[in-house]
Amino acid sequence: MFGSSQLDSFSGGGFMPSQSTQGGSDPSRTSAKSRDNPPLLPLTVKQISQAIQSSDDKSNFVVDGVDVNNVRLVGMAFKKSERVTDVSFVIDDGTGRIECTRWVNDAVDTKEMEEVSDGMYVRVHGHLKGFQGKTQLVIFAIRPITDYNEVATHFLECIYVHHCNRKPQIQSGLSVSTPGQTDVPAAVSAPSSAYNSSQFSGQLNIDGLKGIEKIVIDYLEQPSSLAQEKGIHRNEIAQQLKVPLEKIMEAIASLELEGLIYSTIDECHYKSTSA
Amino acid sequence: MDTSNPAVFVNAELLRLHVGRRVRAVIQVMRSDGGGTVIGRSTDDQQIVVKGNPPGPLTTFVEVIGIADSNQSIRAEIWSKFGDTIDTYSYNRICLLANGDYKHLFI
Repeated sequence: MFGSSQLDSFSGGGFMPSQSTQGGSDPSRTSAKSRDNPPLLPLTVKQISQAIQSSDDKSNFVVDGVDVNNVRLVGMAFKKSERVTDVSFVIDDGTGRIECTRWVNDAVDTKEMEEVSDGMYVRVHGHLKGFQGKTQLVIFAIRPITDYNEVATHFLECIYVHHCNRKPQIQSGLSVSTPGQTDVPAAVSAPSSAYNSSQFSGQLNIDGLKGIEKIVIDYLEQPSSLAQEKGIHRNEIAQQLKVPLEKIMEAIASLELEGLIYSTIDECHYKSTSA
Repeated sequence: MDTSNPAVFVNAELLRLHVGRRVRAVIQVMRSDGGGTVIGRSTDDQQIVVKGNPPGPLTTFVEVIGIADSNQSIRAEIWSKFGDTIDTYSYNRICLLANGDYKHLFI
């Protein structure tokens, strides 16, 4: 319905990169989860109000470590005001209020907006925009709610998605256990089993890193590792992860080639480029 | 964007924690005295009194948004007809979650 060029021209003179280039050129690994296909996230207005605006690009938001482009809200429409090219209104979902704009191009858009009146419960799909310090939603679909179970369902989904997006962050931040072995004590008690090449084969994570590379980068991206100015010695990584040094060195070479880590004071100390 | 005046999901049990604040609750309409007071059953099966002016005939279930007047009553500002069938269990769970572990997503 809305090409990205239309959305961009709205955001101010076409300086904003299109959605696809935003994701593709984003060097930040933390926001890589939604890189290719930005999902439609169910959110509350409260969550949007607490979203972090990524510093390099004012039109991009991050909620629970995930890039937010398109969102779904369920709430009441208020202050509907029609203009020649657009309809503006406010959505109050009980957690807060957010300004919304619906551009009216076709008869379809007009018809959809005609069905909406003040105080009506609606479900909206829209694109989250930050512009001149204001956050607003550019709506591309709006439907009056007919089955009111949707209200509870929407908020349950908000909670579920929040829970799912929080979880991997906590794990990667605190745990350095190998993939497939979630509990650390088991890895410690059986060091030889902590490394097992067959265990990693075919286990590709979202960034396309293999098992050892992934745990090495995870280790280097721990806050305690990032805090070390001279980086981490490869022997320490091998010891901590209970993986043979030669495998660690292979992983390091590959990660260095990818530009994800770099050597610091000598060829033995490495640091993550994400710091 | 304005998050200064949220309406908290409540059942009868949670209502008492929010007296004086804006709340939202689904009730099953039990009886209406015609003078602007509706007696309803909350999603946790207790009685709630809703004061205000209901907009015409109500459906079996309505959601009211308004100020928590007392432990058992809400002064309603907005009435939404939620139809004659609704999953009160889900709504009640939302009340509990929105006042518990996931409070930060709501208020």
